[in-house]
Amino acid sequence: MRYESYEMPPAGKLKDEQIEILERWVALGAKWPGASADSEPLPLATPSPKGFSDEDKGWWAFQPVARPAVPAVSAAPPSWQSSSVDAFIWNSMADAGLTPAPEADRVSLMRRVYFDLTGLPPTPEEVQVFLQDPAPDAYARLVDRLLDSPHYGERWARHWLDLVRYADSDGYRIDHYRPEAWRYRDYVIASFNEDKPYDRFVQEQLAGDELFPGDPQALVATGFLRHWIYEYNNRDAPQQWRTIIEDVTDTTGDVFFGFGMQCAKCHDHKFDPIPQRDYYRLQAFFQPIMPIDATVESPGQRAEYEAKLADWKAVTAEKQAQLEAILAKYRPKAIETAVEKFPLDIQEIFYRAADQQSPGEKQLVYLLQRQVEFEYERLDAKFSPEDKETVLALRREIAAHDALKPAPLPVAQTVRDVGPLAPDTIMPKRGKTPIQPGFLSILEPADATIDPLPELPSTGRRATLAKWLTRPDHPLTSRLIANRVWQYHFGRGLAPNSSDFGKVGGQPTHPELLDFLATYVMDEAWSLKSLHRLICNSATYRQSSSHPQFADYQLLDPSNRFHWRSGARRLDAEQIRDAVLAVSGKLDLTAGGEGGAADLPRRTIFTRMMRNNRDPLLDVFDLPAFFSSESSRNTTTTPVQSLMLLNSPQLVQYSEALAARVGDPTTDPAAAIDRLWMLAYARFPEPSERAAALEFLANQVEVIRQLEDQPGSGDLVIGKMGYRDGQAISILPDEKPARLAVADRPELNLSDFTIESFIEPRSIYPTGAVRTLLAKWDGKSGSRGWSFGITGKGSRRKPQTLVLQMWGQKLDGSVGEAAVFSDHTLEMNKPYYVSAVVSLAKPKTAGDSVSVPGTVEFYVKDLSNDDEPLLVASVPHEIVGGLDNPHPLLIGGKADDSGHFDGLIDAVRISRGTLSREELLLVNEQVVPSTVGYWRFESDPGTRRDSSPNGLDLIDSQQASIAARPLVGALVDLCHAVLNSNEFLYSP
Amino acid sequence: MIHPSRIHPVEIPANRRQFLTRSGAGFGAVALTDMLTRRSVVAAEAASSASSLAGAAAGPAGVRGPHFTPTAKRVIFLFMEGGPSHIDLFDPKPLLNELAGQTLPESFGTVVTAMGESRSPLLACQRTWKQHGQAGTWVSDWLPHTAEMVDDIAVIRSCWQDGINHSPGVCQMNTGSILGGRPSLGSWVSYGLGTENEDLPAFVVMQDNRNSVVNGPRNWSAGFMPAAYQGIRLQETGDPIPNLFPPEGFTQARQIAKVDFLNRLNRNYAAEHPEQSELEARIASYELAFRMQAEAPGTVDLSNETAATLAMYGMDQKETATMGRLCLLARRLSESGVRFVQVYHGAGSKWDAHSGIEKNHTELCKQSDQPVAALLRDLKQRGLLDETLVIWGGEFGRTPMSEQGNGRDHNPTGFTMWMAGGGVRGGQTIGATDELGLRAIENRLHVHDLHASILHLMGIDNMELTYLHKGRPERPTLNEGAFFKPLGLG
Repeated sequence: MRYESYEMPPAGKLKDEQIEILERWVALGAKWPGASADSEPLPLATPSPKGFSDEDKGWWAFQPVARPAVPAVSAAPPSWQSSSVDAFIWNSMADAGLTPAPEADRVSLMRRVYFDLTGLPPTPEEVQVFLQDPAPDAYARLVDRLLDSPHYGERWARHWLDLVRYADSDGYRIDHYRPEAWRYRDYVIASFNEDKPYDRFVQEQLAGDELFPGDPQALVATGFLRHWIYEYNNRDAPQQWRTIIEDVTDTTGDVFFGFGMQCAKCHDHKFDPIPQRDYYRLQAFFQPIMPIDATVESPGQRAEYEAKLADWKAVTAEKQAQLEAILAKYRPKAIETAVEKFPLDIQEIFYRAADQQSPGEKQLVYLLQRQVEFEYERLDAKFSPEDKETVLALRREIAAHDALKPAPLPVAQTVRDVGPLAPDTIMPKRGKTPIQPGFLSILEPADATIDPLPELPSTGRRATLAKWLTRPDHPLTSRLIANRVWQYHFGRGLAPNSSDFGKVGGQPTHPELLDFLATYVMDEAWSLKSLHRLICNSATYRQSSSHPQFADYQLLDPSNRFHWRSGARRLDAEQIRDAVLAVSGKLDLTAGGEGGAADLPRRTIFTRMMRNNRDPLLDVFDLPAFFSSESSRNTTTTPVQSLMLLNSPQLVQYSEALAARVGDPTTDPAAAIDRLWMLAYARFPEPSERAAALEFLANQVEVIRQLEDQPGSGDLVIGKMGYRDGQAISILPDEKPARLAVADRPELNLSDFTIESFIEPRSIYPTGAVRTLLAKWDGKSGSRGWSFGITGKGSRRKPQTLVLQMWGQKLDGSVGEAAVFSDHTLEMNKPYYVSAVVSLAKPKTAGDSVSVPGTVEFYVKDLSNDDEPLLVASVPHEIVGGLDNPHPLLIGGKADDSGHFDGLIDAVRISRGTLSREELLLVNEQVVPSTVGYWRFESDPGTRRDSSPNGLDLIDSQQASIAARPLVGALVDLCHAVLNSNEFLYSP
Repeated sequence: MIHPSRIHPVEIPANRRQFLTRSGAGFGAVALTDMLTRRSVVAAEAASSASSLAGAAAGPAGVRGPHFTPTAKRVIFLFMEGGPSHIDLFDPKPLLNELAGQTLPESFGTVVTAMGESRSPLLACQRTWKQHGQAGTWVSDWLPHTAEMVDDIAVIRSCWQDGINHSPGVCQMNTGSILGGRPSLGSWVSYGLGTENEDLPAFVVMQDNRNSVVNGPRNWSAGFMPAAYQGIRLQETGDPIPNLFPPEGFTQARQIAKVDFLNRLNRNYAAEHPEQSELEARIASYELAFRMQAEAPGTVDLSNETAATLAMYGMDQKETATMGRLCLLARRLSESGVRFVQVYHGAGSKWDAHSGIEKNHTELCKQSDQPVAALLRDLKQRGLLDETLVIWGGEFGRTPMSEQGNGRDHNPTGFTMWMAGGGVRGGQTIGATDELGLRAIENRLHVHDLHASILHLMGIDNMELTYLHKGRPERPTLNEGAFFKPLGLG
């Protein structure tokens, strides 16, 4: 029966007798046979959409928000008499014959409210402060403290970012990083922390440019309309633009209307009174948008920037003009390359003068222009050899004046309107009459009246939409946000589907409470912090998950719809990662700014969210895909999660850090256990738990003693590179990096040779210094050897490029340096294959009449995009040999501890002789006869082991295997078990 | 459920064997006995706990398939990534060679192509064509081994989809939508039918090289469904399943002792929280993880296969060794009860012959033809083909127009896929493209129909399998598509 009712496209009304059966069934409580307790009763099919029926008009979500009287609850216990929230909850509970659970113990309450409001566990110090505060308002003050904490915004922004499908990348074949997207993320965090009135928050995101011109933050906020995915090589521009506008419409429908507007894209909504026309009425508000990357600075910032820029320009003008003259030669071809791939009619639009393009055509031109810019970014590869040298020289000369150059102004990815005239909105297969902007017609049947904005080149459509949504008498907006906030606090909304207030979404369990909260938030000037305060201080929220009559009540209300108890909830992906980092003492709480990779220990909200390259830990714990709006998280339990928590080297390393933090198990194991429990669970162990943990340590020491000595990865930090399987080594420049050294051996002193690696660089030096990838050199001038790395910003040749430096004998017989540059630009946080194939120069001999210069052949391949070719550069040099030296081979650093690499290194191979293109590691990841050493950094055969038969293993500087310190190993295991435990992974 | 005798003996390295011995004597044995009686319960619990917490996101438990008797129990999807040329493999077009060198006749209308060469001259097909098998199925000389199996194959010449580029094309072929974010077909199958063998993932993905498949792992993601339904990629480097084995420096004995203690902690916590059924599922998930450790290595270990089998798959030849291995693994995984196996050949759009199609397709056909045919033959001789649905195809075909002189551009408007086994009637050619192979014109099969047909053969009605997301019923084929009746045995 239920299948039929879901069938689409709409097949019309159910038979009357079916409806009658359904109605009876609903009246009986509507339990799905065999369904989980939360399944909602089947909604009734909507009658013909031609006119709205009384039933449609009477649907709860369309009624004005009521101001319900708070029920008198004199029968309730005193603790349930102080909050209005509790009055409503008590009232319905009492009707059902239920009584509430007692208040949760303080530790549970504390963990609950910490994770809920800040996403982080309490520190032992915070636990002590709270537990030792005897004042009756200790908890209320704790809630206030947490709401005042900057971590509150970092947590609650996460919910909003799910709704708006925020990510830092394009999400198509090239998952291009969006370098400015983070400003929107920071805007959301700041808005929550400032307790920005919610109506203003809505207005800024939908129409910041129209309603608050000149407010940089409002312009950042309107970046809400830029989170759609983008395909860099789509040649069907009209279809691509339609997809973008539909995405914006769908998301707005979910987030701000609370109705599945996309259901009405192709036909009238099947269950709700939303005619197809309403979809296009909503879309019409967004029809005029034009994506822009705008600077968002204060007026003072602008003036300072302009002044500095003028100085810099004055000094560099001549060089800039020369540079521009060269670039200008290459641009027409780049334009042609991009545009010729489009159909002729679209090409014609592109080449037409701007004032001859209609608003809708301008939007298509925007899409073409982005493809032109893609080609512009590749101009460097197109230069003739002479031009290339000139360009590099000019850039160096210009860079010499970088001190004068102002820092670029902040840029936001946002939108404005294409102009005061909107392109037509056409409903497919319904003639050519343009659809005018309008609201849900069941609420406002007439077209919207658009207030023009004479001072702005904008239609005013989005401003009209934003103002309509934030009217105090709007039936949806206040209910939607109140319900969302309730849902994030309790795991389920009062209305069960927080982005769908339609019939499939279902009836609220507590409609009066929902309306009370909706009016409350408006009365409190749309302050969400007031709403949190109200909810978190309620007895409802403070209940224990245990109830004296649990068994009986569970039968009556298995899904706790009446809120007669609390319940343990699994932390979400971000909370798990943040909690692991926090308790192991690794968490870097630096707030805001550009995000980094997930192997950096910042809060998860500040890691980059790349749509096609997800962090495995976050992924397996149900991180959303960020392609469409998500109003709640999934929670799954899978063996793959357990394998991740139990076996991933990262979790072992965090366990080691945690073990080091809890104290020395040899002197006072019980104290270490106490500290561990306090860090992880915010409580001391029960005596029985302490005894069990001590017993575990004693037994585990024996288990470890019986093992053969198993070398671990030691002090290496294990990471994972995007687009590659297996482990990588993460090298952080700020700490003294792990020493990856191979003792000198005759095999390592080579004549012609090839060095190769898979890398993901994280940064370069701001100076000219080189970040070393691989070196056999002691770093002293005059010493012989070689070093392979990436140049810094102030490079004497080119920044951010590969360089092979060699110190040896030259063709002219002297001993000196050759620095050979590949001239390919390496982007940061991108995975690459890089190599240098070194062929030494041949001096003039008796047989030869001339000497032959040597070459270094560089290969660079961007691994994140298969379309990018394998880049090659062959560069001559004069070194004939004499590079041999007794120094160890070092990976990721030089012998003098200078010039560290920063980033991930996945594999390194050194080969005898010059490898051909077909022999490169890129295409053949194996040990072959020419292989001298091959370090794959995999656990099998061992992170430090050489895969070649030469056995050139990395030296373990610590030389301290766990077998030598079994008690420390046992404590690591105890910490690891605790990080895997449900008490750690759940909020009580 | 698969019979235990069908599972091959486990041959694993010493330290892992040690684990089995130890676990057999200790914690593991108890756990196993306990778990074997509860397999299906755990799956149901995991799913229902998802719905109890994320009420808005999860679908009601118990509405899943099969909806009718399936003819296929498992799927092996051989994905030729990049778009093989149907007009050079399965769909001969004499008119193409007649008109070669001319532009596309005006009667064909305008075409939007990815690289904008819709007005380039038509490119002749250089293949020799022959009819094969009793059915007389046309196959070109690029696929001599597949040609031997045509009587088990239904060739569908009338496929079409909506994406002009690889990213939307591969995305739609996996998820039904050209836009990301929806669950992959394998996830829908896992959701609808559950697993046959809980010791292995229900949905496994393999690829023939280390290049990223276009769009990366989101092709096999569960989209808006719980992560439990996502595909697991069998890795070439390190553990076959990520983190399958203890980290470096840890022995299994150490891990088992650790988990034993963890279970004590977790049991105490579960006792305090009877309201949360997930806690039991989470305890069970560690036991399942151990069982996966025991089962997976044996499944991917080919040392018990005979030399004849290895040779049949071409593992004794350089060109075919890689794909041969994947096809053999696909058979083994499928045999062990993995519901949905997806093999990417040419990962990273290697079939994408924009230029030099002769060299490109010669190599790729050589790599894949014998292994693919061997897979069919092997399944057949083991009596598994009847219950295993094998699908071959790319995200699109290629244009009759040339590109860069000697290549072909993407063609999503008409291309060939084939299906075999699992209830598909072999020895037939279904549908047709126009005279130049540009557009499907007869018995058109959209990706949604393809997905509906795969689901149908597995006993799932694509309109009845729903998952509630944001309170709305979502279906695997976006409310479209229907079973393609010519495929069936009846």
